[in-house]
Amino acid sequence: MKVIKVDPEKCTGCHQCELWCGSEIASVGKELPLAINEQPQPVPRVYVEGKKFAIQCRHCDDAPCVKACPNGTMRKDPETGLIYVHEPTCIACWMCVMVCPFAIINPSPTIKVAIKCDRCRNMGYPICAEICPTQAMTIVDRKDYRKKKFTT
Amino acid sequence: MRYIIIGGSAAAISAVEAIRSIDKRSPIDLFSDEKTPLFSRVLLPYYVAEELTKPLLNFRALDFFEENNITAHIGVRVKEISADAKTVQTETGETFEFDKLLLATGGKAIVPNIPGIDKEGISTLKTMADADRVYNLKGKKAVVIGAGSIGVESCISLMRRGLKVTLIEQLSQVLPTVFDDEAASIIKAVVEEMGIEVLTGERATRFTGNGRVQGVVTSTREIECDMVVLAVGVRPDITLAKGAGIEIGSLGGIKIDKQMLTSIPDIYAAGDVCETFDVARNTHFINAIWPMAVEQGQVAGLNMAGQTTEYGGSVRMNSIGNFIGFPAMSMGVTHPQECTYVEEDCHFQEIKTRSKNTYKKIILKNGCIVGAIFVGQTQKSGIITALLRKQVDVTDFIPVLLSRNLNFMDILPLVRRNADRFTEPEFKELMDTGL
Repeated sequence: MKVIKVDPEKCTGCHQCELWCGSEIASVGKELPLAINEQPQPVPRVYVEGKKFAIQCRHCDDAPCVKACPNGTMRKDPETGLIYVHEPTCIACWMCVMVCPFAIINPSPTIKVAIKCDRCRNMGYPICAEICPTQAMTIVDRKDYRKKKFTT
Repeated sequence: MRYIIIGGSAAAISAVEAIRSIDKRSPIDLFSDEKTPLFSRVLLPYYVAEELTKPLLNFRALDFFEENNITAHIGVRVKEISADAKTVQTETGETFEFDKLLLATGGKAIVPNIPGIDKEGISTLKTMADADRVYNLKGKKAVVIGAGSIGVESCISLMRRGLKVTLIEQLSQVLPTVFDDEAASIIKAVVEEMGIEVLTGERATRFTGNGRVQGVVTSTREIECDMVVLAVGVRPDITLAKGAGIEIGSLGGIKIDKQMLTSIPDIYAAGDVCETFDVARNTHFINAIWPMAVEQGQVAGLNMAGQTTEYGGSVRMNSIGNFIGFPAMSMGVTHPQECTYVEEDCHFQEIKTRSKNTYKKIILKNGCIVGAIFVGQTQKSGIITALLRKQVDVTDFIPVLLSRNLNFMDILPLVRRNADRFTEPEFKELMDTGL
């Protein structure tokens, strides 16, 4: 299982990841000027709030959101371990919102769907890590996450 | 190893998945008295409202049993468990042997003892047969008795189908187990705005009508109606457990230990049928909700397959979801009085914030969160749930917890301070970041 590792020393809180996630992943137009006026409103799945640290879904091994979902909308990809929302069946009960300890699942502001990071599972490489100007985000194996010390 | 699972909903399926994560081969026999397999009970009001069709009620794909190599006996009721012989007998007369058994028989809808309750047109809403019955009832006016989650959702469902609906609740507020009176009054106003008549503090005393229900008599009036939905609650379905001599707790649910084992070796129980340790109440309680059933099923399944696992305790949580048009949820207790405590010095605190469209409340016991209510704005509430379940002292973080901008990084120092409780790898990873 691979996870995104964020280096707080490198994260400057520039919000570029949010912008790119919101336009490249969530929007239809794929470009910021188009995305801004789109309905439903595109929203990013990565959050830079308060402290300078980008946080997105941790893709928990034993995920509370998958357990709380009453109709199997929140799913775990058996091959990659990535957790994603199967949007057509989401009934907007917000049970997942209620149990996510990292608070990275949010109700869509315009449509009845829970929104969360699926780490760009259909794209090969997550856009936030790809565009990060300081390369604060890297992809590492969960096993190695804690072994390696951060390098500045 | 031969496994038998009795039940086919959240706890049962979760247990099956847990067993199969360890033991891919051993035979598993699953018995469910529901004729429709793998549907989610939580969604029945959506079915009644015509928001979801039957196939969309499934919470697992229909080939689930085949994929997981499970012999599913759908629509087959188990009549008896012989604990000594380690067998179960079905109503069809067949006998099956087991090495490990799981009772995930869930709850039964309570049918109150009110004169005239057996009239036609009166139904609970718990099983698929109930849902079909309610769906097919004809008429213009409906009465829903009981304003719990199912009651409120049922009346909105029927309203959306074009019926005129009256909701009767004998307590003084709607959603009495989910919200305090302040939150409940917000919800009540919203429900009334939809055109539903809400009568709180009233009791149904009699049903009128000749064969078919025509009215509900309450303490103060008579309401004409063509159908009645009973939503006064559920109670554990312990018929089988009792017959097998399994110990029942004081609240009427199966007594289990931390590994979800009942008083009889090799017989486990999980889900709405059992009493578990409630971390908020600090005592045993029946938290008959979907996420807890899944968790307990998983713990039971792992233990049945030989991987010793302990259950960390349950907590009530309810989300009203989008059914009422805006999010509202609560977890743990809604009033400090619900916590039993043994400590001599017990200090409760209630913190509230209220704005035009939102209401938030957190209840603390000796600095630990034991309950929370969120109405209107529910983003980030998962952080509160996590802190509640881990029972950590949050005294110096209170302003942060109710702030609009709450995010996980704010509480990271709190997580690090209680590193012994946040043992999941995901928490450890973020703790390492040094923020």
